[in-house]
Amino acid sequence: MAYFGNNQQRGELQELYADLNDLNFEKKKEAVKKVIAYMTVGKDVSQLFQSVIKCLEFQDIEMKKLIYLYIVNYSRQKPDDAIMVIQNFRKDVRKSENPLVRALAIRTFGCLRVPKLNEYLIEPLKDCISDDDPYVRKTAVLCVPKVFEVSPELCPPVLDQLQKLLEKESNALVLANLIQSMREIEVVNGKQLILMNPKIIQKLLLAVDECMEWGQIFILDYLATYDPADSKQAEIIIERTLPRLSHINPTVTFCAVKLILKYLDYLDNGDLVKNLCKKISPSLISLLSWNQSEIQYTILRNISLILQKFPILFENEVKVFFCSFNEPYYIKYEKLDIMVRICDSKNFTQVLNELMIYINEADPHFVRKTIKSIGKIGMMYDKALNEAVSILVEFAKNVQQATEPVQELFIQMQILYRKNRNLYKTNDSLKILFNILEYANEAEAKSACAWIVGEFAEFIPKSVEKMKEYIDNFLIEDRLVQLQLLTSGVKLYIKYPSLCSALIQQLINSAKDSFNPDVRDRTYIYWRLLSTDPEVVKNLVCSAPIGSSQFQKDVRLWETKDLIIALENMGSISNLFHKLPNQLYKNIKVRNNHQQEAKIYKADEKQEAPQKDQEIKKNDQNQQQPQQQQQQQQQQQQQQKQDFDLLNFDEPVSNNNNNTNNKMDVYDLI
Amino acid sequence: MISSIVFINHKGEILVYRVYKDDITRSETTQFCAKIVATKENKECPIINIDGTSFIHITIKDIVVLATTKVNVNVAMTLQFLYQLVKVCRAYFGGEFDENCIKKHFVLIYELLDEVMDYGVPQIADADLLKKYIQEGGLKPELMNDVEKLKQLTSQATGATSWRPQNIVYRKNEVYLDVIESVNVLMSVKGTILKADVAGSIQMKCLLSGMPECKFGMNDKLLMQREPRKPGQTTTDKGITIDDLKFHQCVKLPKFDKERAITFIPPDGQFELMTYRITENINLPFKIMPVYNELGKNKLEIRVKIKSIFEKNLFGTNLAIKIPVPKNTANVSTNSAIGKAKHEPEQQGVIWRIKKYPGDFEALLRCEIDLGSTTNQQPWIKPPISIEFQVPMFTASGLRVRFLRVYEKSGYKPTKWIRYITKAGEYLHRL
Repeated sequence: MAYFGNNQQRGELQELYADLNDLNFEKKKEAVKKVIAYMTVGKDVSQLFQSVIKCLEFQDIEMKKLIYLYIVNYSRQKPDDAIMVIQNFRKDVRKSENPLVRALAIRTFGCLRVPKLNEYLIEPLKDCISDDDPYVRKTAVLCVPKVFEVSPELCPPVLDQLQKLLEKESNALVLANLIQSMREIEVVNGKQLILMNPKIIQKLLLAVDECMEWGQIFILDYLATYDPADSKQAEIIIERTLPRLSHINPTVTFCAVKLILKYLDYLDNGDLVKNLCKKISPSLISLLSWNQSEIQYTILRNISLILQKFPILFENEVKVFFCSFNEPYYIKYEKLDIMVRICDSKNFTQVLNELMIYINEADPHFVRKTIKSIGKIGMMYDKALNEAVSILVEFAKNVQQATEPVQELFIQMQILYRKNRNLYKTNDSLKILFNILEYANEAEAKSACAWIVGEFAEFIPKSVEKMKEYIDNFLIEDRLVQLQLLTSGVKLYIKYPSLCSALIQQLINSAKDSFNPDVRDRTYIYWRLLSTDPEVVKNLVCSAPIGSSQFQKDVRLWETKDLIIALENMGSISNLFHKLPNQLYKNIKVRNNHQQEAKIYKADEKQEAPQKDQEIKKNDQNQQQPQQQQQQQQQQQQQQKQDFDLLNFDEPVSNNNNNTNNKMDVYDLI
Repeated sequence: MISSIVFINHKGEILVYRVYKDDITRSETTQFCAKIVATKENKECPIINIDGTSFIHITIKDIVVLATTKVNVNVAMTLQFLYQLVKVCRAYFGGEFDENCIKKHFVLIYELLDEVMDYGVPQIADADLLKKYIQEGGLKPELMNDVEKLKQLTSQATGATSWRPQNIVYRKNEVYLDVIESVNVLMSVKGTILKADVAGSIQMKCLLSGMPECKFGMNDKLLMQREPRKPGQTTTDKGITIDDLKFHQCVKLPKFDKERAITFIPPDGQFELMTYRITENINLPFKIMPVYNELGKNKLEIRVKIKSIFEKNLFGTNLAIKIPVPKNTANVSTNSAIGKAKHEPEQQGVIWRIKKYPGDFEALLRCEIDLGSTTNQQPWIKPPISIEFQVPMFTASGLRVRFLRVYEKSGYKPTKWIRYITKAGEYLHRL
C-alpha cells in the first residue's frame, strides 16, 4: 500500500470502492472501466478484487470482459479470492447457450494460471474441446498450452484428446490452432506430440486452402520443419504450397517460399527444381519491394541466407537492391550489404556505378560502408580494381574535413595498393591522397597513411618531413600506428639512408622503451637487423611485391552445415540476427537428423569445385569456433599479420589481411 | 508466441497494455519505453533485443505499437499482425488512429485485443467480421439471446468463406473496379533508366446480393496464351507480362496456380482484390530532362524540361515537380510557360505545380538560384528530382481488364463500372 502513500490517491480508491458497490448498474460499469484504466497506467488496484468480482452477477458481456481482464491480471496475487469466480466460469462454460460466452469463459479460465484452480478446469476444458461449435473448439485447443505450462501433471488426458482431434477435426481454423497449440506444448515439454503421417499431411494441406491467413502461416511454418520421406512426397507438398506464393499477406508468401526452398533438397528432378526457382524468384522480389519497410527489412535480413544457398534465385536481379533516396537507412544498410554479396564478375560495373552515387549521401556511416564495399569489390575482382580506385580518388578530391568516410578511404586505399602497387599512378591517386593525409585521425586510418608514406616514399615530395611529423608524435599514437610507423620508418631509411639517419635514431629511441611488448620487440628486431646488415633488411622490407595476389570471393555468412537449420527458421527472430536458434535461445535444442549435405543452387556458372571445397573447409574450421574463440583467433591472426608485416612479405600480409577483413565483415553483420 | 501487445505514445507512456503470456514483466516494457521510444534512439529498426526480450514494433504517426516476446517467433508475421491490428482499430474509429482516440476507446481496444489474439497466437483479425460481434457499448441483447444467429455467426467466422456473410440483399446489384498503378522509376544523371517497375492494385467495390461467384480476366499474356483462339479474332493483342500477382484471401489460389484463372466469392463492400508487379515494357508517362549549371560561386541554374508521353486526348493532373535546391538558397527566380513554380524553403526545393497537363506535350522551367553565404564548407548533396502526377484512363503497364463475370443462382446481371488511373510512385531523376 506504500505505493498509494498519499491521501488523495487513497481517496480515489475509496471512491471506486463505493461506486463498485453502488446499486446503480451504470455507475458500477463506469467504476469497472476506471479500474481497468488505472491498471493500464500501472497503478495497483488489486485491493478492489472482491468488489470487482461481485459485479459479475450482471449478464452484460462488455462488463464481463472487463472483469475477466481484471481477474486475469490479479488472479495470481489473490488466488484465494479467485476461487470465488470458479463457479461463474463453470456455469458459463457448461450452461451458456451462447458460444461466444462459452469461448470467453474457457479462454479466460486458462489465463488464471493458479495451479490449485486448474483442477477445476480440466473437465470443462475437455467438454469445450469436443464442443459442437468450431469457435469454442478453436479457443479450447489454445487453452491447453496455457494449462500445461502451469500444471503439466493434469494434462495427459487432454493431450490424448488433442491427438485424437488432430485426426478427426475437419474445420481448418481449429486445425491450425491445434497445430500451433501442440507446437507450443512441444516446446515446453521437449517431446514430440504431433505424429505426422501421410493422412495428416493431406489434411493440413487441405486446411491451408481453407483457413485464414494466420492459420496458413502456422501450418506452413510447421510443415517447413518436417522432413519429407522421399522425393515424391516433397513434390506433392510443394505442389500444394505453390498457390500460396500469390497470397496478399507477405508472411504467407514468405512461409511458402521457405517451405519450398527447404524441400528442394529432397527433389530428384533437376528440371523441376529449376522451374520452381523461376516461380519463387518473382514472388520473393515482390516482397523485397513491399511497401511496409518493417516487413521489407525482415525479408532483407533473410536474403543473405537465401543468396548463400540459392544464388540462382537472384541471378541478374541486382537492381532490386538499389537504394532509393527516401528509404530509411536501416533498409539502405541491408541493401548495401546484399549488393556486395550479389556482386559478381558480370555485374560489378553496374554495382560500382550505383555505389558511386551513394558516396554523396548525407549519412556518414552509410557513406563509410559504401566506401568499404567499393574497396571490397575492387579486391574481389581484378577487373574492377581500376574502376574502384577511380571512384575512390574522385571522392578524395572533394575531401575537406576529417570525416568518418575519409578514414575508411585511407584504409581501403591501402588495401587496394597492397593488391596492386602500380595503382598509385591511376588518376594521380597517390598525389591526391597525399594532400589529405592530415585528415586521418582513426588509428587504422593513420596506420594506413603511415604505410602509404613508407611504401611510396620515392614518389611523394617531402616524404621524410611527413615521416618526421609522425615520429614526433610517436608516443601518443595507438599501438597499431606505432607498429606501422616502425616498418615505414625503416623503409624510408633504406630508401634515403643519409637523409634519415637522425630520423631512424629518433624512432628507435622513442620505441625501444615502449610499454607494449609488440612495439618493443619489433623495434629491437629492426635495430639488430639494421646494425648487422642493411642489405638483408632491404631485401626483406622493400622487396618488390609479387604481382597481384589471389583473393577469393567469400561472402558467406552461414556455415554450410547450418544452412538447413537456418533455412527452417527463416523469418524468425534468430535468423534476423543471423544466428541459429540455439545460439540465441538456451532452451532450444537443435534437431540434428540432417544426414544430407546442404546443396548449393547456382546458375550455370563454371566454378572450380575442388578449390572452393578446400576453401570452405578452411573457413568452416575457422567459423566453427564460438564467437569468443573466434575473436581470440582473430587477434592471433592480427598478431600473425603483424609478424609477417615485420618482415614485410607483401604477399602473405595482404592475404592475411583479406582473411581478417572477411572476418570483420561477419561481425559487422552480427 | 507473443507475450504482450502495448500501445505507447511518443513520450514513452503506455496507453494500452495487454499481456498474453506470463513471461514478461511490466518493468521490461517500461525499460523499452524509456530507453528506445522516449529517446528515439535506434527506434527505426523494427526489432530490438534487450536482455533476452525481443521488442518488435511499428510506428504509426506518434504511436508505437509494440509486441514483445521471449521466444523465436516469426517476425514477419508479428509485424503483419501489428499492421492488421492498426487496420482493425482504424476501421472501428472511422479511420483515425491517434492518442486521443486510443484513450477514448480503450475499453473497446481491450475487447478487441482479447479477440484478435489468444495466448499470443493471432486469431480472427478481420474488422468486418469482428464488427459482427464486438461493438462499442456492447452488443444488442437480441443477438446475445438468439442462439441460431450466434451459431451462424461463429460458423461464418470459422468457416472457409469467413469474409462474406450469407443473405446479403441489394436492390440494385453493382460492381466498381479501380485499377490503380504506381510507377516507380529511378533515372541516372544521364537519363538512363536504372530501374522501373509498376506496382498495381485492383480495388473492388461489390454491392452484390447472395453468394456471387466472380471470374475476373485481364490481358495477362500467360492466360491469353492458354485460351483457344476464336476464329476471326485479331492476334495483335498478345497481352502483357506480369511478374508477380498477390491476391486477396477470397481468391481461389490453387485454381489460379493451375489455370491462371482468377475466381472468387467477394467480400461485401470495398476491398483490394489483388496487387501486381510489372517490370517489362513500361510506358513511362513523363520524361524529365534536367540541366544543372553552376554560374559562379553563389549562383546556380537548373533547367528542367518535362515531356508527356501519352496520347493527346488524355491529361495528366496535379503534377508537382520537386526540384531540390541547396539549404542556403536565398532567392529563386523561376520562369515557365505553364503552371506555377515556387521556392518552398520548408521542402528545400522549388515546387512546380501544373493542374492539367496535356498528352504529348513539352514544357520547360528555368530556375535561377541565388545562394546566401554559408559557413558550411560541405559541397551540396544533390537529392534527386521527384515528380508527382496522376494520369486517368491510362495504365503504364498496358494492363486492361477484359472481363468480370458474376454468377449467382438468382441469375441477376449486375452493372459494372471500371476506372483506370496511373500515379507516380517514386518517380526520381538523379541530378
